[in-house]
Amino acid sequence: MNKAADIGAKAQQETAAVPDEGAVRFSNVTKRFDAVTALDNVSMSIKPGEFMTLLGPSGCGKTTLLNLAAGFLSPDGGEIRIAGERMNDVPTYKREIGMMFQNYALFPHMSVAGNVAYGLKVRGIAKPERDRRVQEVLALVRLTGFEDRTPRQLSGGQQQRVALARALVINPTVLLLDEPFSALDKNLRASMQVELREIQRKLNVTTIFVTHDQGEALSLSDRVAVMSEGKVRQLGTPQEIYRQPCDRFVASFVGDTNVLRGRLEGIEGALAVISVGVIKVKVPSGAVMDVAASAPIDLFVRPEHLVMTEATPSCATSGTIAAHVYQGGHVDTYIECKDSSRDRLLVRSAGHETMARWPTGSTVGISIVAGEGVAFV
Amino acid sequence: MNPQPFLRAFTAPAWLCAFSFLAAMVAVLQFSLRAYVPGSLDPGGFTFANFIDLLKPLYARVFFDTVVICFLTAVSTLIVGYPLAYALVRTQSAAIKSILLVIVVTPLFLGEVVRTYSWIIVLGNNGFINSILLNLGIIRQPVQFMFTTFGVVVALVHVTMPVMVIMLAAGLSHIDRDYQRAAESLGAGPIRVFLTVTLPLSMPGVVAGVTTAFAWTFSAFATPQLIGGGRVNMISNLVYQLGFASFNFPFAASLCVAGLALTIVVLSGLRLASRRLENIGPH
Repeated sequence: MNKAADIGAKAQQETAAVPDEGAVRFSNVTKRFDAVTALDNVSMSIKPGEFMTLLGPSGCGKTTLLNLAAGFLSPDGGEIRIAGERMNDVPTYKREIGMMFQNYALFPHMSVAGNVAYGLKVRGIAKPERDRRVQEVLALVRLTGFEDRTPRQLSGGQQQRVALARALVINPTVLLLDEPFSALDKNLRASMQVELREIQRKLNVTTIFVTHDQGEALSLSDRVAVMSEGKVRQLGTPQEIYRQPCDRFVASFVGDTNVLRGRLEGIEGALAVISVGVIKVKVPSGAVMDVAASAPIDLFVRPEHLVMTEATPSCATSGTIAAHVYQGGHVDTYIECKDSSRDRLLVRSAGHETMARWPTGSTVGISIVAGEGVAFV
Repeated sequence: MNPQPFLRAFTAPAWLCAFSFLAAMVAVLQFSLRAYVPGSLDPGGFTFANFIDLLKPLYARVFFDTVVICFLTAVSTLIVGYPLAYALVRTQSAAIKSILLVIVVTPLFLGEVVRTYSWIIVLGNNGFINSILLNLGIIRQPVQFMFTTFGVVVALVHVTMPVMVIMLAAGLSHIDRDYQRAAESLGAGPIRVFLTVTLPLSMPGVVAGVTTAFAWTFSAFATPQLIGGGRVNMISNLVYQLGFASFNFPFAASLCVAGLALTIVVLSGLRLASRRLENIGPH
C-alpha cells in the first residue's frame, strides 16, 4: 500500500468518526406517519453553540424533527447525530438533551427545587453537589428563593423559567425548545425571549427552537430553517431569510410582503431588470435567472420598502388609501392598487404624519426603495 | 326567589326516594336497639345488649376477616387492574382497546350468582385449574381453593375489576404525556419514569379505585356465601345467618349498623390519608 493512499484512508477514517463539526446533524432524515410523509429527506447541520430555529406553519414537520432529535420518535430513514454520535437507536434518556415543552410539563407533585434537581438525582449526583447546582441555575433564571413553591403557585413566566432551569441544570449537549413562548402574553413573551437568548449565549449551549411565529424566529436565531410540507425550504441567517427569501413560500411566510405584478426586461449579471408600471427596478436575479425575457414576474416587496409620494407619472404605481392602522411606532397604510396581485398594498411608514398628509381616500404614488424586493415567476 | 315554583314538583321523586331510604335506615337503627325475644318475630324493649354482643370474639372475628378480605381484594384488584388501565389508556390500536374494554367490562353484565358459580367451576376440586394441574402431573392431590379466603378474594377481584380499571383509566388519561417525556429527557429510564412520575400522578385514580373496591367488597354476599361455603364469613353472611336462620332481627340489624359505621370509618381514614394528594393531581 503506498503512502498517499494510507494517508487518504486515515483521513477518511477521521471523517467517519467526526463526519461534521455539527453539534447536531440530520442526514437525509425521513419520517412517515402511515401514508403521510412528515419529513422528507431533511438534512441539516447545527453548529456548537448555535441557536437554530425551525420555523413553519403547523404540519410542516418542525415538531417532528424536534421529536426525532429528542428521541420521542425514530426516523424511517436517514441518520441523526448528536456530538458526532449516531442517535437513531439511542433512547431519549441516554441522549443528554434538555427539553422545554410547550406547556412546560413541570412535575406538579414536586417543588421547584425538586423539579430542577430531578435530572441530577437521576444521574446519581450527591445531595450537596445537587443543591449547589440547583441554587446556581435558579440564580441564573432569577428564581432564587422560589425553591419550595409548587409549580401551581407560580406565574406563567416563572413556570417557564423553572422549565428552562430544569433543562439546563444537567448541562445538556443540546437544548430543545418546543414553542415555549406560545402560552405567554405579548409583553412577557418579549422579555422572556431576551432572557432566554442571554442565557443561551452565556452558556453557549446548542439550541434547537421550534416556532410558528416568524417574528420570534427572526429576533432570536443565529440561523433559521423555514420548513413546509416536510421539507426545509430555506436555511439561513434571519437577514438572509427576510431579505433574500428563496421562494414564494418563504417570502410570504416570513414577514409581511406585497406582491407587485411586473415583467422581466432582462438579466444584467447578478441583477434582474423588472418593469413595474412605467419604472424599472433591479433586484437580485436568483429565482428568475432562467426565465425568458418579457415573462410576467411577481415582485415581492416588504411594506417598509414602499414609499408613498405625490402621484406623478414616474411612480412605480399608484393607488387610493383604504385605511391607516396606527401601531404606535409606525403606521400601516392599506392602499387599493390594481398592480398588486391582491389588489391591496401594505405600506409601513414611521411617524404619524403620514396619516395627516394622506388622509383616507386620497390618491398616492408608490415607489420602491432602490435595490429592495425579490422576484419570482 | 324562584320564578318557576312548579319546577320544584320535579324534585318530588327524589324526595320520595330519600324519604324511603331514610325510613328503612331508621327502621334498621331502631331494630338494632331492641331486645331479641326468642321464638317471636317482634322485638322486645329498648337495649344496648346487641352492640355489646358484637364485641364477642366470634362476631369481632367476622368484622376483622371482612376488613382483611376487603383490603386484600382492593389491593389485588389494583395490582391486576393498573397494567390493564395503563394499556387501555396508552394503546394506539383500536382493536387492542376494544378487546381490553370487553375483558374489563364483562363482569358488570354477569349476574352475581352466575359469576360466582363460574368461579366454582374454575376453582373446585374437580375444577378447571385442578384438573389441568393433576393431568399435567404437577400435583397429586387437588389444591383446596374452594372455601378458602384465597378463593373468595379471587372471585371478588373479578367483581371489582371493572370499576377499578375505569377509575384508574380516568386518572391515567388525565396525565399529560409530556410529563413522562420531560422525565425521559432528563435521563430517567422507563421504570424510574413510572415510579417517580406516572405512579404519583395517578394517585387520585388509585385512591378512588381502591376506595370504591373496598366499599363494594364490604357488602359482598353471594360470593363469600357460595365460595366461602360457611368457612369464610363476611358481615353480610353473618347478617343472613342471624336474620334468616335464627330470626334474630335485632342482632342482625345491629350488625348492619356496625358494618355501615365501620365502612364510614375506614373510608374516611382513606380519604384523610389521601387528602395531601389533592395538590398533586395533574392540572
